[in-house]
Amino acid sequence: MFKTQPQSTLDSSRDDLAVQIQHLNYFFGVGDLSKQVLFDISLELPKGQIVILTGPSGSGKTTLLTLAGALRRLQDGSLRVLGKELVGLGDRALVNVRRNIGFIFQAHNLFESLTASQNVEMAVELTGKFASKREQSVTMLSALGLADRVDYKPKSLSGGQKQRVAIARALVNHPKLILADEPTAALDKKSGRDVVTYLHNLSRQEGCTVLMVTHDNRILDVADRIINLVDGRLESDSTPNDFVQHKTQEALTEVSADMFIM
Amino acid sequence: MARVSVAWSNLMHERTRLIVAIAGVSFAVVLIFMNLGFMGALISTATNFYEQFNAELFLISPETLEISTSTAFPRERIYQVAGVDGVERIMPLYSEYLLWRNPETGVSRGIFVYGINPNDPVFLMPELQGTEARRILSRPDTAFIDRLSRPEFGPQEIGTTTEADRRRITIGGTYFLGGGFAADGTLIMSDQNFIRYLEPRPLSLINVGLVKLKLGVSPEKVAATMRALLPADVNVYTKAGIIEHDSAYWLESTSIGFIFSMGVVVSFIVGAVIVYQILFTDIRDHLPEYATMKAMGYRSQYLFKIVLQEAIFLAVLGYIPGLAAALGLYHLTATATAGTLPVAMNGGRVIFVLGLTLLMCSLSGLISVRKAVTADPAEIF
Repeated sequence: MFKTQPQSTLDSSRDDLAVQIQHLNYFFGVGDLSKQVLFDISLELPKGQIVILTGPSGSGKTTLLTLAGALRRLQDGSLRVLGKELVGLGDRALVNVRRNIGFIFQAHNLFESLTASQNVEMAVELTGKFASKREQSVTMLSALGLADRVDYKPKSLSGGQKQRVAIARALVNHPKLILADEPTAALDKKSGRDVVTYLHNLSRQEGCTVLMVTHDNRILDVADRIINLVDGRLESDSTPNDFVQHKTQEALTEVSADMFIM
Repeated sequence: MARVSVAWSNLMHERTRLIVAIAGVSFAVVLIFMNLGFMGALISTATNFYEQFNAELFLISPETLEISTSTAFPRERIYQVAGVDGVERIMPLYSEYLLWRNPETGVSRGIFVYGINPNDPVFLMPELQGTEARRILSRPDTAFIDRLSRPEFGPQEIGTTTEADRRRITIGGTYFLGGGFAADGTLIMSDQNFIRYLEPRPLSLINVGLVKLKLGVSPEKVAATMRALLPADVNVYTKAGIIEHDSAYWLESTSIGFIFSMGVVVSFIVGAVIVYQILFTDIRDHLPEYATMKAMGYRSQYLFKIVLQEAIFLAVLGYIPGLAAALGLYHLTATATAGTLPVAMNGGRVIFVLGLTLLMCSLSGLISVRKAVTADPAEIF
C-alpha cells in the first residue's frame, strides 16, 4: 500500500510533527456520484500546538477532522498521524491509530447507564490497565474539577459537567493528539472557558497537539494558529497576535504560513 | 478490577424496558413449555395403559403400528423364548375391535377387546386379581368393561346384558384402564370368549406376546438374547421401548406432533421478535455512544459482545420466571383435568427449553447487532 505513495512522503516525515498532511484530496461517494470535498490540502501540525480550524458550514472542516482521527479510510495524498501513514490503511489498523487519539465531540455521548467514572474507565480499559483504571479515572475527573461527581450518572450532572466527563474520557490515556469538534458549543461562557483553559494547559505541559473545530469567537485567543477552510481548500493559515510571544514555534509557523496560504 | 459491564448496566438502566423484555421472554418460555407439556401429556395418555401391563418385555409383529393396529403373529414365538434365562412367564394377548351395542339407545360402536387366558396375570388392575375375578372371566359370554370407556357405550353396571357382534354379552366386572387414542372403550374377556366373538380367529395367532421376567433380571439383556433367537417376523421391546414405539407412531401419523411443534415454533418466533424489538430499540438509543466507543478504539466485535451479552442476560432472566410459571400451570392443568391430562415436567424438557430460549435471544441479538456494528464514528462529529 505504501508503494503507491510518492517517495517524498517518506522522506519528509518528521518527528516533531503530530499531523502531516500532503496533497490530500477526499471524495464522498463513488463513481459518477462522487463529490470532492477536500482539495489538495497540505498542512503540518507540530507537537504541542493548539490549532483552531474554522470556516463556513460545508467547508469540509469536520471531514478533515474525521480523516485526521482515522475515522474514515482514505486513498489519495498523504496523511501521517503521530508518525503513522493513514492512507491505504484497513479498518483494523485505523482502529489501532484511534486509540492514541483523544476525541471530544459536540455532544457528550456518555453512556447514561454508567457513572462518570465508569464512562472514563471504558477508555482506560482499552489500554488493558484494569488494576489502575479507577484511580486513573478519578485523577482525571478531579483534574477537571469533578472529584465529588465521580460516581454520579450523567442524568445527575449539568451540561458542563457532562462535557467535562467526556473530556476526561478523551484525555485519560494522555493522547498525543486531541481532536475536538465544537467542544464549547453546548457550554456556558465560564464552563467553555474552563474547558479551553484545561486544553491549553495540557498542550503546554504534556506537549500534546490539539486540533479543534469551532465557531466560538470567545476562545480563539488560546490558539497558536487559526486555519480557515473554505469550500474544501485552505483559505488562510494565520497566527493570532498572542502567538508571536511563543518563540519556540515561531519560525516554523512562518514557514507554514507562507507555504499554505493559497 | 473487572471490566465495566456495559451490557448489564444498559439493561438495568431502563427498568421498564427490562421488565417488558423479561415478561416477553417469560411469555414465550411459558408458551413453549405449555405446548411441549400438552404434547407430552397427550402422547402419554396414548400409551399410559402399558403401565398396567404385568410384563417387562413385549413381542409384536414388525407390521404393528400401535397396539390397536396390530398384525397377529404365530403363538410359537413366545414359546420359543419361554426357556430363555430370566423369563418367569410368557402370556399371549389377543386384541381386536368388536361392535358393542348400547343397551339403552341400541346404537352399536366399536370397542377394543383384549383376550387373555384367565389364569394369566396379564393386567395389574386390582379388579382383575384374585380367584373370584378369574372365575367370572372364565364364564361364557362374559366380559369386564373399562370404566373409562366413553359414555356412548351405555351403562357399565355389573350384570348389564347387551349384544356384541350380534351375540349376547354380560358385563361381569369393571376396571379402570383407558383406551389411549385408538379406542373409545375397552373390554377384557377370556381367550375362549374371544374366539367365540371373533370367529374365525384361531388362538394360534396372537397380537402381543407378554414376557414376565424374574425379579432383578435386566430386561435389555434378555431382550437382546431373544432377538438373537427369534426370526424376523417378531420384534422385542421393553416396556419403555414399546411406549416409545407407540408414541413415535402417534407423533408422526397424527397431527399432534405437528400442531404442538408448530406451537413451539410460533412461540419461539414471538419471543425472538420481542427480544429483537427490545435490543433494537436499546441499540438505536445508544447509537451515538456505540459510535463514540468505536472512535475511542473499540472494535465492532466488542459491540457485538455487548449486544449478545444483553441477549443472554434477557434469556436467563426471562427463562427463570417462565419456568416457574410453567410449573404452576402444569400443576393447575393436571389438577383441573383431574389427572386425565397428565402434564408433567421432566429434566430433558427443562434443558431443551433453556437451550431454545438462549438460541431465541442470541438469534435476535445477532439480527439486531447489525445496527450497532454499522454505527459510524465519522457520523457523530
